[in-house]
Amino acid sequence: MRKPIQVLGAVCLLFASASGMAVSAMAAPPPATERYLHVKVEDSKEGESVNVNLPLSIAEKILPTVNKGNLHNGTVNIGSADLNGIDVKGLLEAIRTAPDNEFVTVKQKDQDVRIAKSNGNIIVHVRSTEGEKQNVDITIPLKVVDALFSTAKDNELNIVAALHELSDAGDALLITVQDTTQHVRIWVDSRTTSE
Amino acid sequence: MVLLGKIALGLTGTMLAGIGAICSGGVIEVNVVERSPEVHHVYVLAPAMLVPIATHFIPRDKLGDASEQLKPYLPEIRAALGQLREEEDFVLVDVKEREQHVEVQKIGGSLVIDVHDPNETVHVETPIRAIASTIEQLADSHGETTQ
Repeated sequence: MRKPIQVLGAVCLLFASASGMAVSAMAAPPPATERYLHVKVEDSKEGESVNVNLPLSIAEKILPTVNKGNLHNGTVNIGSADLNGIDVKGLLEAIRTAPDNEFVTVKQKDQDVRIAKSNGNIIVHVRSTEGEKQNVDITIPLKVVDALFSTAKDNELNIVAALHELSDAGDALLITVQDTTQHVRIWVDSRTTSE
Repeated sequence: MVLLGKIALGLTGTMLAGIGAICSGGVIEVNVVERSPEVHHVYVLAPAMLVPIATHFIPRDKLGDASEQLKPYLPEIRAALGQLREEEDFVLVDVKEREQHVEVQKIGGSLVIDVHDPNETVHVETPIRAIASTIEQLADSHGETTQ
């Protein structure tokens, strides 16, 4: 009778030590739908690539703690001089209520610029042939732009609110820059890698 | 004989429970393989719980500078590590060059750094909880040295 009790005791001790290790190995349950900001830079000439995948929730948590330079509590002070007296909130309201359209078209000898509103996004296309050929495409959801200018002050950008809005938006390719050798892409989705 | 068996069983059980408790904070794994000019292999596996404890034994005057440099970034580091622990596994940074590959990942409760190039391979795995505790220890040492 004693032997089974001793064996049982040994099994209990083994289980206790193993469960201690198992608890540490078990990660906290993942958030419901984590969104990632992906940055991918590829250089075909050098054969290099850099991928950064940042969970938006981490950026949202870190930014309010940064109080350096123009960045305070998740907002950036852009200074009134940079706005040149433009009523940005009024301008955004006008764009929001306007139908989908191309607002700005600039055609120059070696550069084309187009700014448009389409499906709730602000779209900027730049095609440049000056020096080396370069294409820039920017697509930002209007909701994100609204959140960016959602602070009480006109000369502040609310980065945290914009990130929050971005995480609520669907998968989106935000920025692409392509020149003869380099390709930069910035996008948001729920994948944990850039592949 | 039965008494000796009981003592042995007790010692083994205590030892296992102790190992379980020490390893409950995870383990730090360092694996370095150098191929050039000579082949060297360094492999260290240590309980992460020992790192903050070991920090206690570093002379405070040696830590003063490090903790002073760390202090301005403490809120950001705390926020980042706290949130990182709650995240699912993901690749934070992946850099590929012609002959080198660097990867920083969050796997389980650990931060894992891998470097591969023709001359060496480096693998470092550290529990995020241990990084946080060590940073707190370093920050505390600043308070102690300035008092």
